[in-house]
Amino acid sequence: MTVAGDALQEQAAARQLASAVRKLFGRSLHVRTVDTGSCAVCESELRLLLAPHYDLHRLGLFFTPAPRHADMLLVTGPAVRAMDTALLKTYVAMPDPKIVVAIGACPLGGVYAEDDLIHGRLDQVLPVDVVVPGCPPNPLALLHGLLVAVGRLAERVGDLRFVIEEPGP
Amino acid sequence: MPSGPGREAVAVSSGDDRPFYGAAVVRCPDGQAAAARVRQFGEHFGARVADLYAAMEEELVTLHLVMALDAEGGYVDLTWPVSGEQYPAISEILPAAFVEECEIFEQFGVRPADNKPLNRVAIPPRAEAHFPRLGPAPGHEGRHPRAPHYVAGEAFEFPFGPVRAVAQESLYIGLVTSGEEVIDLYLMQWHKHRGLERRLQGLPPERALFFVERMEGLSAVGNGWAFCRALEGCAGVQVPPPIERVRGIALELERLYNHAAAVAALAQATGLSVGQAQAEIVLEQLLRLNSVVFGHRYLFGVLALGGVHRAPEAGALRELLGSAVDGLRREIEALQSTNSFMDRLEACGIVSPEVAQRLAVVGPVARGSGQNRDARRDHPFGPYLDERVEVATRASGDVLSRLEVVATEAAESARLIGEFCRAGLRAQASSRPVHLPRSASALGWSESSRGESLVSILVDDNELSRVRLRPASVRNWRAFDDAARSRNVFTDVPIIEASFWLTVAGFAR
Repeated sequence: MTVAGDALQEQAAARQLASAVRKLFGRSLHVRTVDTGSCAVCESELRLLLAPHYDLHRLGLFFTPAPRHADMLLVTGPAVRAMDTALLKTYVAMPDPKIVVAIGACPLGGVYAEDDLIHGRLDQVLPVDVVVPGCPPNPLALLHGLLVAVGRLAERVGDLRFVIEEPGP
Repeated sequence: MPSGPGREAVAVSSGDDRPFYGAAVVRCPDGQAAAARVRQFGEHFGARVADLYAAMEEELVTLHLVMALDAEGGYVDLTWPVSGEQYPAISEILPAAFVEECEIFEQFGVRPADNKPLNRVAIPPRAEAHFPRLGPAPGHEGRHPRAPHYVAGEAFEFPFGPVRAVAQESLYIGLVTSGEEVIDLYLMQWHKHRGLERRLQGLPPERALFFVERMEGLSAVGNGWAFCRALEGCAGVQVPPPIERVRGIALELERLYNHAAAVAALAQATGLSVGQAQAEIVLEQLLRLNSVVFGHRYLFGVLALGGVHRAPEAGALRELLGSAVDGLRREIEALQSTNSFMDRLEACGIVSPEVAQRLAVVGPVARGSGQNRDARRDHPFGPYLDERVEVATRASGDVLSRLEVVATEAAESARLIGEFCRAGLRAQASSRPVHLPRSASALGWSESSRGESLVSILVDDNELSRVRLRPASVRNWRAFDDAARSRNVFTDVPIIEASFWLTVAGFAR
């Protein structure tokens, strides 16, 4: 792909994402990340989402250190079993509706096979809603993944019930 | 081989038909003899602990101590079998070997005979006997690293991790503090242990290279090249200089983007958003440059056994490199003229030259503490045989001196890339099949952006029977707690971490 083509695609994706986030979350969608044994490269690409070239903040997306504030969980790494407790605690602490995005080839099962150390696939541990393949997925691919995830989250919001119906007599 | 006093005593012994490539091998009959040899090497030759690892050879745990003789330009692999469950403690002679002694205890169940408590490295607590290990499980667990940190009076432990700031690797930091000052600090890294060394056993070499690149993705070329060199050494494959220079370019590009990333992380840790953004612009430029020149932002898949999978786009390299390197230089200069930045760096996170020497750290951490060592110059390989690397050192050992080392190294990397291009590159991808011999051992090394990276392999029955990976992160995390304890406050810890620029993935692997 050419650099110009990249830039055009990036702009289009960014516009779509910005309007979706604005409409659904009032420019305030919060994202938490968890590393379950990655090689540190996916983390590097995630950090670059905040860098001037991509600048997620302008789209109304924010990284948050607190899972209680997070709408979306980005998980990297092949789901090492030793991280299970930390990962589940993070997931449980997030309020509904929440969405899980698997980042990179590792949580898809593309790198490590399952054994006593590693689940090998994230969906063995958490319900995965969106996958972003790549080793590593570049920031543009991550942007596309977030766009898909926002769409999924919108469906979840639509399904939420705010009134608890009393059981019939 | 080294020269000087005691030379006769260190002649290579024979008696085993397994050839060893990349290092002079010294075989000892038992631990006592080995300890005597270690003393000899330490005293007469100033040998530095590069690595200590174990392997199962004929149902017996065999230890290999890799010592670097930097002045002479060679490595020595001192090997001896362990009978029983204990061996004479190497860390009593050369303290740097402690972290490997802990690893060997977890993976092979043998321990040094000094009754010192051993720390947990990679195996999670309460792991059962069938937990995947490289050798037999130990009879009892290593101590919990929390145990010796006696907290009394007003001090308390502030637990931090393993889920840390956004897009940071998983790492548990136990901060012992009385409120602001870091009294003590310890790390738990086993959350990320993926058992890579075990996974590599018996794998075809090409597949093993795939995993070695993904052990510590930010040093894919540094670690991958060390692995390729070990394999090529024992398979007798000669890589032509124009191809070695292509590898050299990949290694220097990797160093450049890592140094830019470290500068960005430093600016972030000191709270300078503008400086961070500027450094990230340069980082993104360098990653896109990697992508244009070699087809991958992090240079995965560039190396092949016996050659390279990708030929560089030399035109694009010439066109884009200059502006990115200039940008990095300007950015570092701008930061260095910002008082609020410099105030945070000076006298922060000090690793004294004595500590650096004792813990045998490598890379910019060592060079920032006055240790003049660089595998590209001391143990030249590939293109560095023809092109001498100018090594920058600083004496004060604080974060600022590490930044200055990084700044100088970035300029040197750009110069090296220019020299390699001028000397001529292979314009097509080219690799040669590597056939493993029936039985061999080999050591491969390179200098990643974090420091010297070592890979040792043992081949039996034409298969990889043991692959030992020793990325620079293994050595350098050892000095992190010393740096953090040196009269620092809480908020200095991220600054020190950025200046070390290590990965947990490499340590826990």
